[in-house]
Amino acid sequence: MTSLRRFCMTATGIAALSATLPASATTLETAFGSVEVDDDPTRVVTLYTGALDTALTAGMTPLGAVATRGGDGVPSYLNDAAGDISIVGTPRETNIEAVAALKPDLILASPQLPEAQYQLLSRIAPTVVPDVTPYQMASWEQEARVYGKALGRLDAVNEAIGTVDAQAQEIREDVAGSSTASLIRWMPQGAIVMAPQIFSNTLLTRSGFTVDDGDTVKQGRPHSDPLSLENLSRIDNDWLFLATLNAEGDEAYQAAKQSPAFERLDVVQQDHVITVDGQLWTSASGPMAAQAILDDIDTAMREMK
Amino acid sequence: MTSFMNRHADSSVMGSLRACLRAATSSSPVATWGLLMILLAVIALLSLLFGAGDVGPGRAWQALSDFDAAAMHDSEAHFVIGELRLPRLGIGLVVGIALGIAGALLQAVTRNPLAEPGLLGVSAGSAFAVTLAILWGADAATLRISVAQLGALGGCLCVLAAARLQGIGNDPVRLILAGAILSGLLHSLSSLILLFDQYTADEIRFWVVGSLAGRDAADLMPLAPSLALAALLTVILARPLAALALGEHVAIGLGHHPRMVRLLVIVVVALLVGGATAIAGPVAFVGLVVPFAARALAGPDIRRTLWFCLPLGPIVVVSADIVSRLVVPPSELPLGVITALIGAPVLIAVVRRRRLPML
Repeated sequence: MTSLRRFCMTATGIAALSATLPASATTLETAFGSVEVDDDPTRVVTLYTGALDTALTAGMTPLGAVATRGGDGVPSYLNDAAGDISIVGTPRETNIEAVAALKPDLILASPQLPEAQYQLLSRIAPTVVPDVTPYQMASWEQEARVYGKALGRLDAVNEAIGTVDAQAQEIREDVAGSSTASLIRWMPQGAIVMAPQIFSNTLLTRSGFTVDDGDTVKQGRPHSDPLSLENLSRIDNDWLFLATLNAEGDEAYQAAKQSPAFERLDVVQQDHVITVDGQLWTSASGPMAAQAILDDIDTAMREMK
Repeated sequence: MTSFMNRHADSSVMGSLRACLRAATSSSPVATWGLLMILLAVIALLSLLFGAGDVGPGRAWQALSDFDAAAMHDSEAHFVIGELRLPRLGIGLVVGIALGIAGALLQAVTRNPLAEPGLLGVSAGSAFAVTLAILWGADAATLRISVAQLGALGGCLCVLAAARLQGIGNDPVRLILAGAILSGLLHSLSSLILLFDQYTADEIRFWVVGSLAGRDAADLMPLAPSLALAALLTVILARPLAALALGEHVAIGLGHHPRMVRLLVIVVVALLVGGATAIAGPVAFVGLVVPFAARALAGPDIRRTLWFCLPLGPIVVVSADIVSRLVVPPSELPLGVITALIGAPVLIAVVRRRRLPML
């Protein structure tokens, strides 16, 4: 079924390429078929943090974006770059009227946008939904390239991805041997373990870590259910990355240490716990996020030395 | 074939259970009570033996048989039993007793077999109060308990006022409807806070469905004074409550003050439910199931019912907690989900009886 779909899409792709196009438009292959976009879009709305990140990477400030999960603005690592941007909804619910009011000429949406939403949005402006399988090693790069192409700024995006690769390579040389790591969020009842395939964990993998979820995350899910305190030893690896939402990192670490089950883990005894910003590490995606995450890893590894 | 055999096994298990129950009810209440205490001891032991982790019953038994030696040669089992399962058992015992007694008292004072602290919005009230307190930045464990108890009292008074407002206070279902509406309102307000504030969300997810996991036994200490007060008041109130069951005039004739008694009982219920909610979150239906079973075994006298709630409450809570650890390893289900699964059918069974027994 998938191969048939891919074949049809390739066929339409070839057909689209061979047709003579107006000079000012580009045709993109998206999850919902071919979409024709302006060569140099100026009024862009992003409905996904990964798309906002990519647009800002490429030097384009969108008019509108959705808020980060659990917040009322863009993720804090993008605050400075995004400036005074209108918020047109939350990751779960887009305010279609607010999008229409901005009169966009291009909408960049998440690969997981439901078809019903696409039908509405595509009547406002050409809507680009990358045809990318989520939770794969290179999902974010593929997404970024589709957004880059849609913005007519693929070169800038490719350059940023190259920088990420080089930075990861540098850290890889620092991380000696094979270091295992887990990324979790902490609750008093136990830990939520993030899947090795999510964005930040693929960057840990790139930097030479072996991300180990202790077989707690079900196939195709971004994270586990809260892990029983009796099973915390499953995440007792060389390094533990502890993602916190709005709380101060150190405060969250101290709170977790209140639990005797957490406190007795080897990784905690050795103080190999690195607290990181949950907005960046568990909800973000894109080249700028990748660079910020690699900076975090780099800083942590230098401090630990 | 297997399903047939299972069913056969099930029915024989049910049959022997029923036989046991009949034997228990026909013999003296003291003997029944003794049997229940033995059952509780067995369940308490099981709760030390079973868990979601690698320490299975065999290993746990070995560690338990020489607990001090286990600290040396099996520190994992020693830790899991001593630091995780034992505190859970202790908290389960306290929560079970508190919710069982609170349910029996509330049912006696409202003369309504459906009155359950969870259904009446008492748990929802205390959970909402704690949610608000966390949202406004409070996080001291001791503050939580008083806030939860105040919230419970507020929830309790709101429902009683709403149900009595029209002067038809004797309709059992009416009270439940008022409680359901108040619970729904308070739950949606709690959810609203949870949606808006992600930081609070992580903290209060616990306050939406109860759980015994991750609580420290030391958290019980700040609860001790209010629970002791509640216990004392329960002992004092048992006799006047029994008199009140004979009718208001009889009670007055025997020298009791019905209004005073009712008010004090509500305060005790708020202390018990608020305390239980502060430590375990809202655990639904325990206050319905436990007095229901206690009355079936002990008859309608509130004093006997209260005695039977002592073993029955912890039996329900601790065994539900054991189930919650075993169904979805390596994770656990929240305790409140299991008690709701047990309690909802009981609620329907009580309501579907033609005539609700008037207490």
